[in-house]
Amino acid sequence: MNEKISQVLRSVQKPGRYCGGEYGATIKDKSAVKARFAFCFPDTYEIGMSNLGMRILYGVLNREDDIWCERVFAPWVDMQEKMREHSIPLWAHESGDPLTDFDIVGFTLQYEMCYTTVLQMLRMANIPLRADARGESDPIVIGGGPCAYNAEPLADFFDCFSIGEGEDNLVEVTKLQIRMKEEGRYTRAAFLHEAAATIRGIYVPSLYEVTYNADGTIAAITPKYDDIPARVEKCIMHDLDKSFFPEQVVMPYIEAVHDRIMLEVYRGCIRGCRFCQSGMIYRPVREKSPEVLNKQARCLYDATGYEEISLTSLSISDYTQLEPLTRALLEWTDRNMVSLSLPSLRVDSFSKELMDRIASVRTSSLTFAPEAGTQRLRDVINKNVEEADLMRAVRTAFAGGKTNVKLYFMQGLPTETAEDLEGIATLASRVVHEYYQTPERPKGRSPQVTISVSCFIPKPFTPFQWEAQDTMEMLEEKQAYLGSKVTDRKVRYTHHDAKVSRIEAVLARGNRRLGAALELAANEGFCFDAWDEFFDYEKWISVLERTGLDPAFFANRAFGLDEVLPWDVIDCGVTKEFLKRERARAYEGNTTPNCREKCSGCGANRLGGVRAVCPTGCGGAK
Amino acid sequence: MKDNELKFSLPMLDAPRTARVRFRKVGNLQYISHLDLQRTFSRVLVRAGLPLWYTKGFNPHIKMVFGMPLPVGAESECEYLDIRIEREMSDEEIKDRLNAELTHELAVAEVYPAERHFCEIAFAEYEYTVHTAGADEALTARVREALSTRPLTAIKRSKSGEKEVDLLDFVHRFTVEATDGALIIRAVLAAGEGNYLNPDLLITALREKTGILSGDPMQESYRILRRRALLADGITEFR
Repeated sequence: MNEKISQVLRSVQKPGRYCGGEYGATIKDKSAVKARFAFCFPDTYEIGMSNLGMRILYGVLNREDDIWCERVFAPWVDMQEKMREHSIPLWAHESGDPLTDFDIVGFTLQYEMCYTTVLQMLRMANIPLRADARGESDPIVIGGGPCAYNAEPLADFFDCFSIGEGEDNLVEVTKLQIRMKEEGRYTRAAFLHEAAATIRGIYVPSLYEVTYNADGTIAAITPKYDDIPARVEKCIMHDLDKSFFPEQVVMPYIEAVHDRIMLEVYRGCIRGCRFCQSGMIYRPVREKSPEVLNKQARCLYDATGYEEISLTSLSISDYTQLEPLTRALLEWTDRNMVSLSLPSLRVDSFSKELMDRIASVRTSSLTFAPEAGTQRLRDVINKNVEEADLMRAVRTAFAGGKTNVKLYFMQGLPTETAEDLEGIATLASRVVHEYYQTPERPKGRSPQVTISVSCFIPKPFTPFQWEAQDTMEMLEEKQAYLGSKVTDRKVRYTHHDAKVSRIEAVLARGNRRLGAALELAANEGFCFDAWDEFFDYEKWISVLERTGLDPAFFANRAFGLDEVLPWDVIDCGVTKEFLKRERARAYEGNTTPNCREKCSGCGANRLGGVRAVCPTGCGGAK
Repeated sequence: MKDNELKFSLPMLDAPRTARVRFRKVGNLQYISHLDLQRTFSRVLVRAGLPLWYTKGFNPHIKMVFGMPLPVGAESECEYLDIRIEREMSDEEIKDRLNAELTHELAVAEVYPAERHFCEIAFAEYEYTVHTAGADEALTARVREALSTRPLTAIKRSKSGEKEVDLLDFVHRFTVEATDGALIIRAVLAAGEGNYLNPDLLITALREKTGILSGDPMQESYRILRRRALLADGITEFR
């Protein structure tokens, strides 16, 4: 780190965020590598260091001798002020070098509300905000992660996007740039064209022309060249047992949000909840084998010394090999004082046996996500969880000594009625009642049931992608209504901010025209909008107004089933026909069996996949 | 590939023993807080595969006792950590295993059987390197005078609140010289339990009294390095 930054660290909060020098960080000789990759996480160090994707891609890129990948995080506001005061440009964590020294600058886009932080980071780095304003010596700016599936609001600012799992294509992109520079035929335009034409999952927004209808909807998205795909198909790793696994972990000195071993058990989700984007875009479901996982967990333990292993995936109890995996892990974890935790339990699979085995349930609180208050609405969203399942799960928990239960719900779901909202309050009261009906409950203590209610946000590539979000007034009215129905004193009610949810919906379903608003927001200093203390709804509405954009057009309008969607240029594996079918079933109140029971023909299995949970097509586990 | 299971095959000791670890904390790592350092070491000790002794309670944990505190923004060559080992492993091997899990900025210098209690540390020797405008003989004399003329006041913060103190009550001895455009101050300061001076306070007080480090913060800088821990006589090195 350079002396300038070092001296500034004396006068900022949490200097450990910036000082680097971590064990496990990759340091290379910059004169001996051919490409430098700056992997940016548009949030604080503590949050970024918890991100598994970043860990994997850092390792994948640094495995290449001719590439040096470094990490970059968003400096907190006090540091940003110091940087402006002393003209310090945004730097990379390992070398302390400014981002303009890099060949490729990548951003992982984990949530929509990080967009303004992305733009602020580009400004701090002195990289021109707009892709069309960058010169030949500027780095290529690439984006990836879940939000890249509809990155149209960011299309003006990114040279390209990596769609899907980036283990292979980020390396290919970097290698292509190295090759073209060595061959002396590198220009930004030639490089982007060749990347789009030859590398799977690379979407170059500037190579697609978007035309609009008079009503503001999209008329067509047309590739500008014949040799680039009309739709960009996402990348997946076919065999997770063989895909890259980071054996060396960068160990943060300051506490990361997830400061533990994160063992990725499988990708995708068999469930198909109709509001859930993760459940769709990560298909097909591909598992790792328990032998490989046990070996990787052991390796991570030896490399980190963490005292907790968290089995991560979208719904861990759906892992077909959970029993053999936990058995293999417990053979050595107990002896080494390492505990296991399962962060994503479903109520229908929660058993006493599982609870006894898992550390996360040694605490006094448990979390479940029924998502909706009535069976009717749970069927609409395809949650496939029944009240009896929930009651069984909480009974088990209470009998096992728990007193606190947290329940996640969503409000504003399609077809929602007052009865569904009231159902949330009723369900919570029944859980309280169940506590007193459980003879083995902890004696002399009273239960605490917390209901945490978020707002439905229609997300691209879900069966509910066409749905209108409730207006903010409706959302707030419903929040108040639900509040009035929660009369049980053992029930605590919390809800998300409807204003944030509305802006999130605007960005999630936005098109390229939002670029103007984001640029204005960046110029007015927006940053850290994912943080309550910096989010300012009035300012968002103001920038949208001043750029001639109506938030209701993106958030509160039902999109036409035949309308060209901004994200139609991306192929996430799951077909639009499937999403339409699922939407129709939702309105009929019909559920769809999970992938393990019956293939619903979502289309993702044509992408392939080894140990894929899909009874037809891909020849995976039956 | 290392194997953390090896420790289980080592012969048990009759009773757990304490090993004293002396390590440095320099460079970037001066900005890591004490709490973060503790968490870091709890993991370093584990991945080094040391045969650690765990407390026998309901929630077993390893024992770590650190020596005197080091403020964020100061470097040190003499940080101490006592650990408890329950199986046979030589001090030299403990040192090598730890260093394999640490960076050079947090390297272990020495592992040895503890000779004295941490409460016997009374003083610490610091070296200040101050890159400030006009570091010459005249400035040296000014700083020397400031360090010799009572009172050299500063606000000392502690759990019981703020109070104004005379820093010279905490200065055992010092030297000042100017070399290569930098001011080098060597000072032995109180570092005992209940009688401890945060070495950064001396910079604050000198800045006010002599005007050092009051120019452009991007041109001037300073570094504080703790070199040795000393006993009550101010001479004998703590072991």
